[in-house]
Amino acid sequence: MSTQPLADFLAHSVELESEARERYLELAESMAAHHNDAVSEFFLRMAEESRLHLEEVGGIAKDHDLPELKAWEFQWPDEESPETTSYEAVHYRMSLREAMLLALDNERAAEKFYASFARSSSDENTRKLAAQFAAEEASHAAQLVKKLGALPADSGQHLEEDDDPHMPE
Amino acid sequence: MNEPIKLKAKDYKSSVKPIWCPGCGHFSVLNALTKAFAGLGIDKDDTVLVSGIGCSSRLPAYVDSYGFHGVHGRGLAIAQGLKVARPDLTVIAMGGDGDGFSIGGNHFLHACRRNVNMTYIAMDNEVYGMTKGQASPTTPADWDHSKLTPHGPGVRPFKPAALALASGAPWIARGYSGNPNQMARLIAAAIEHPGFSFVHVLSQCITFCPEQTDWKAVVHEREEEALVDADEAAQLFLHEDGFQTGVLYNAQRATWPPSVPEPQSTDITRGFSV
Repeated sequence: MSTQPLADFLAHSVELESEARERYLELAESMAAHHNDAVSEFFLRMAEESRLHLEEVGGIAKDHDLPELKAWEFQWPDEESPETTSYEAVHYRMSLREAMLLALDNERAAEKFYASFARSSSDENTRKLAAQFAAEEASHAAQLVKKLGALPADSGQHLEEDDDPHMPE
Repeated sequence: MNEPIKLKAKDYKSSVKPIWCPGCGHFSVLNALTKAFAGLGIDKDDTVLVSGIGCSSRLPAYVDSYGFHGVHGRGLAIAQGLKVARPDLTVIAMGGDGDGFSIGGNHFLHACRRNVNMTYIAMDNEVYGMTKGQASPTTPADWDHSKLTPHGPGVRPFKPAALALASGAPWIARGYSGNPNQMARLIAAAIEHPGFSFVHVLSQCITFCPEQTDWKAVVHEREEEALVDADEAAQLFLHEDGFQTGVLYNAQRATWPPSVPEPQSTDITRGFSV
């Protein structure tokens, strides 16, 4: 991180929420195209959650001069920003429960990311804001856990389609 | 004077929504490409994406620039012609492993040899996905997931980087769809390379090759500088595991066509003298 911890932190936070939203939207559209409507609707709701969080972060960030970083200049713990769903983790036949578990992983990864700033930033304002964001992500995760608890168990059979892949029996 | 508006990656996407399977690696290439465009501040009006046929060749429709969805295996031929006619444009050809190394294999060899100043992105998922999962030139010999090759194709797969090097490509990189930010950096570097730049992308097909989700565990980034010596690069490409990412080879070579001074009228007159 540079000598402007708060501006750097906010730049990463805006990118994190923006990427999460974009990926959820992309997945919602592709799930809809493949007739997995339940998962599509869930990802749309998650995109909306991310939009609301992005608005909040963006509202704080607008008073700061954020660094203009290229996509590959952000420093993430893994290959992509923490709340972004990995491509290889989804499938057009995935169940709503599997989608919700993925989203839960995302929320927890974001919480961990923010919590690490809350612990280790040299700047007090950054630590406070990061702790606030971490708490919000923890709250999202708790809501998802509650919803998962209320969801009927998976039947074990994934979505079927008429035009199956040409695979061996 | 007003500052030009800085575009974000999403501003480079068109209103056409991809119909790829959820989880398809090509989504990642689309995102990496638009991130590279945003990083370089690419002008949409001066950029052309050219493709062949196949799942990956749908990509130009999803980008808000000029595009040409060509015929099977001929994306490179169209793209080279365009770049030679309009050297002012940023020209990027793209396609899949079947389109690029089988149907368009000969164009690939000669594009590497010719070294026109353009970029070629090959999205390699080792399968013909659009036609529902047949073996391609990069399918492992023992891949037995298709009814057409129930015991596997039984043929050694191409090594695209080795093929490119042997054919004269001066700049070779490999990306992975599980790491779109690194891929964006590679594509940006490829666009900036003054010559033919080849980006080989390991782009998983989770529908027909679900085992490719395991790639995440074996892909590793090259830590050393790109090789400049062709002999060393040949050793690398012949013996590596095929999962190394980064800029792997970077040599300088004169591009084609060579710059030739415009003929003057006296030269033309002299040509007709007896």
